[in-house]
Amino acid sequence: MVTIDPVVTVDPTSLRERIVQTRPTVVKDTAGYSVFRVVNAVVLILACAVMIYPFVNIVAQSFSSEGYINAGQVNLIPRGFNIDTYKTVMADHLFWINYKNTVVYTVVATSIAMVLTTTYAYALAKKRLRGRSFFIGVAVFTMFFNGGLIPNYVLINALGFTNSIWAIVVPNAISVFNLLVMKSFFENMPEELEEAAALDGLGTYGTLRRIVLPLSKAVIATMVLFYAVTFWNSWFSAFLYMDNAELYPVTVYLRNLMAGASTANSVAGGVASEGLAQSEASIQSVTMVLTVLPILCLYPFIQKYFVSGVMLGAVKG
Amino acid sequence: MRTLRRRAVGGLAATALVLGLAACGGGGGNDKGDEGTDGDAVASDLGMVGAMEDFGVGDTFVATEPVVLSMLYRDHPNYPLNEDWLFFQTVEANQNVTFDITTAPLSDWEERRSLLIGAGDAPDIISVTYPGQEAPFVASGAILPISDYVDLMPNFQDKVERWNLGPEIDTLRQADGKYYMLPGLYEQMRYDYSIALRFDVLDELGLEQPETWDDFADVLAAIKEAKGGSYVFSDRWQGNSLLSIASGSFGTVAGWGFGQGVTWNEDAGEFEYAGATDEYRDMVEYFAGLVADGLLDPESFTQDDAQAIQKLANQESYAIGTNAQELIGARTTLETSLAGQPFDLRKILVPAGPAGDLMNGLRIENGFMISSDALENDNFVAMMQFLDWLYYSDEGLEFARWGVEGVTYDRAADGTRVLAADVDFLGQNPGGTTNLQTDYGFFNGVFSLAHGSTTELVRTFISQEEADWQDAMSAKELAPLPPPWPLDELEREQASLYQTALVDYTLQNTLAFITGQRDLSEWDAYVAELEGQNMSAYVEIVNGAQQRYAEENG
Repeated sequence: MVTIDPVVTVDPTSLRERIVQTRPTVVKDTAGYSVFRVVNAVVLILACAVMIYPFVNIVAQSFSSEGYINAGQVNLIPRGFNIDTYKTVMADHLFWINYKNTVVYTVVATSIAMVLTTTYAYALAKKRLRGRSFFIGVAVFTMFFNGGLIPNYVLINALGFTNSIWAIVVPNAISVFNLLVMKSFFENMPEELEEAAALDGLGTYGTLRRIVLPLSKAVIATMVLFYAVTFWNSWFSAFLYMDNAELYPVTVYLRNLMAGASTANSVAGGVASEGLAQSEASIQSVTMVLTVLPILCLYPFIQKYFVSGVMLGAVKG
Repeated sequence: MRTLRRRAVGGLAATALVLGLAACGGGGGNDKGDEGTDGDAVASDLGMVGAMEDFGVGDTFVATEPVVLSMLYRDHPNYPLNEDWLFFQTVEANQNVTFDITTAPLSDWEERRSLLIGAGDAPDIISVTYPGQEAPFVASGAILPISDYVDLMPNFQDKVERWNLGPEIDTLRQADGKYYMLPGLYEQMRYDYSIALRFDVLDELGLEQPETWDDFADVLAAIKEAKGGSYVFSDRWQGNSLLSIASGSFGTVAGWGFGQGVTWNEDAGEFEYAGATDEYRDMVEYFAGLVADGLLDPESFTQDDAQAIQKLANQESYAIGTNAQELIGARTTLETSLAGQPFDLRKILVPAGPAGDLMNGLRIENGFMISSDALENDNFVAMMQFLDWLYYSDEGLEFARWGVEGVTYDRAADGTRVLAADVDFLGQNPGGTTNLQTDYGFFNGVFSLAHGSTTELVRTFISQEEADWQDAMSAKELAPLPPPWPLDELEREQASLYQTALVDYTLQNTLAFITGQRDLSEWDAYVAELEGQNMSAYVEIVNGAQQRYAEENG
C-alpha cells in the first residue's frame, strides 16, 4: 500500500501577518487626500451613470409602447410594457438565419484572423527574420493606402469570393493595428525563455505553441475580443459582396429593418395598420438590445485580460 | 545593407504602383471602346429573341419563347423577397418571363447600386431609381440612353402623350438631349405632405379650416389667444416640408423642393437664383412673422422630429407637419398622451398664397434604368416590351397593384375591386389570413411604380379620409415647369462647386431671417453677399445651358 505524504500546508493567517509586517507603516490619509477620494468617487459614479443611462434607457424603450416613446416619457422603466416589437423581429425566420450567419462569420473569421495575426506577429517580432522591415512595410502600407471600393469589389469578385464567407473573412483577416500590438508584445517577451526552450529541443512552432502562447493569454484575449467585436458589428463587407438576403449577417438585417421603419413609406396611405405602425424608435432599441447582448456577455470573461492587454501598445514597443 | 533593402522595398512599391496604374488605364480604355460600339447599334441589330412582332397599346405581352431577365432588386424589409411569390409564378405562366435577381437591402440600396454599376457588374434592369439619380452614371456610358429605344414601348409613349407628361419627361434629359431612366408616371399629381391641425380645438373656438396662409396665421393666433403657450405650431423635418409645400403658392422653391435653387422668370425669359427673388423674400417674411408673433416655434427648424411630436403630444403645440402615414403615428401618440380624451387631428388642405392656389410638383416618380450591356442580349426587345407592359400598360399596372382576379381580388357587382376573402392588406380585410404584399408579392415598390399611376389605382387601399383629401388637393393648380437646362460634364462640375456654397449660405440665412436672428431689413445686404458666393456665375451657367438646349432641340 502506498502512502502519500500529506501536502505541507501554510497557515494563511501567519502568512498574512508576515506580509503585513513587511509592509511600510501605513500613513494616515491627509484631509486633502480624503476630499480627493470623495470627489473621485462622486465623479466616477456620475461618469458611470452617464454611460449606463443610455443603455438602460434603450432597454426600457425596447419594452415600451410606441405612444410613450414618441411622447418622450420613457426613462429608466418601460411604460406601456409590451414585447410586440421583439415578437415581430424574432418571428421572422430570416432574422434567425441571419443571426446564425453572424455567429458563423464571427467564429470562423476570428479564428482565422487569430491564427494569421499571431503567426505573422510572432515572425515579425524576431529580429533575425530576413526581410523583416519589408514584411512590416507591406503590412503598414495597407494602413495608409488601399485600392478603393470598386477595385476591391472587382478583385473579390474575380477571386470568386462573392456570396461566400470568404468575402468577409479574407480581406479582413489581418488588422494591422492588432498585428503591431501583438508584435510589440512578443518583442518584449524575454528571449531567454525561448532559448531555454530551444535547448530543451523545441522547434520554432513548438516554442510558439508550448512556451509563447501560454504566456500570451492577455494579448490573445484582447485580440480575440477586438476581432470578435469587429466581425460581430461589421455589415459593410457583407453588404458589398452578398447578393442574397439569406447570406446577410444580422447587422444588415437590422439595418434594413430600421430603414424600412424610417423611410417615409407612404404606401400605407392613411390606413391604420397595427402591424406596420411600429415606431422607428422602438425597432431601433430592440435592434440594439438584440445585437449587443451576446457580445456584452463576452466582456466580463475577458475583462481581466483586457485591461492589461489593451495597455500593451501604449507602454511598450 | 539597410539602405539597399529600403531601396529594394521602394522599387517594389513603385513597380506595383506602375502596374496598378497601367491596369486601370487598360480597363478604362476597353470600357470606352465598348461604349462606342454600343452607341452605334441600330434597331435592326437588337436581340429579338422572345419579342412579339406586333406589340401595341393594350396588348398583353407574351414572350414567344422563355425569357430570363436579370434585375437588381431593392429588398424592402416590410415585404422581404420571396421567389415563390404568385407575382413571379403568374409572370412566368402568362408572360413567359422569369427573373434572375440580385438583391440589395433597402438600407444601403444606393451605395450598392453605384458599386455594381461602377464595377461593371450591374444586372440589366436596375430598379428603383429616382429622377436625377441616374446623372452620375451617364458620363461613364454604363447606363443605356433609354430615350433611343422608347419606340419599343408603346404604352409608355401613349401615357406620356395622353397625360401630357412631355414637360416632365424633358426634365430628365441630359446634355446630349437623351434621357437615361424611365420614371413612374402619375395621371394626376399625388399630394401627401401637409400640416396636421387639431380640428377639435378649431371647433371648440369656432374656427374654420384656413384657406390661405393669412387665414392660417389668423387661426394660429386665435388658438394662441385661447390656449396660451409660447407657440402654437412646432414643425418637424427641420421645416423642410413646410417650406416646400408653401413655396409653390409664394411662387418660388424652398425646403425639400429647393433643388438646384433656380426659378424661371417667364417675363425676362431667363433663370434667376431663387434665394434672391422677391417671391422668396415674401415667403421668408411670412414665416418670420409667424415666429415673431409667437405662433411658430423657432426650434421647428433645428429640432428632431421626435421633439416636435413630443410637443404635440404634450399639447405644447397644436399643429405639426405631416403626411398620411405620420398622421396615423401622431394620432397613436396623442391617444396615449391625452389618455383617451377625444381629439381630432387632421391634415388641412395646403393654403393658397400670393402667387395663387399653386403647388410645386412633378408627376413623375422613381422608375428604373437599363444597363448598357443589356443591348447585347438576344432578348433586348422582349425585355423592353415586357417592362412597357408591366410598368405602363393598364393591364400591367393593375396586375402589379392588385394581383390576379379570382385569387387575390374579386370584382364586386359595380365593377370595383375587393380583396379576396382570405387576403388582407393594410387592415382592409381584417379576416384575411394572407397578405397581398408579403405573401403574394403584389403592391411591390419594385414592380408597381408611382402607386399605380392611374388616379383610380393610386386611390385604392387608402382611407376615405385620405381619398377625400387627395381629391380636394387635386383641385389645386400645378406650378408650370421651367424649361430644361441639362448641364454637360464640365458645367456640372463647375456648377456644383458654386451651388454647394450658395445653397448652404441661402439655407443658413433663410433660417436666420425666419427665426429672427437676422433682421429682414438686411435682405439687400444678404443678396449682395450671395453675389459674393458666385450667384451670377452660377445663374449664368444655368442660363447658358438652357439657351444651348433650346437652340439644339427647338
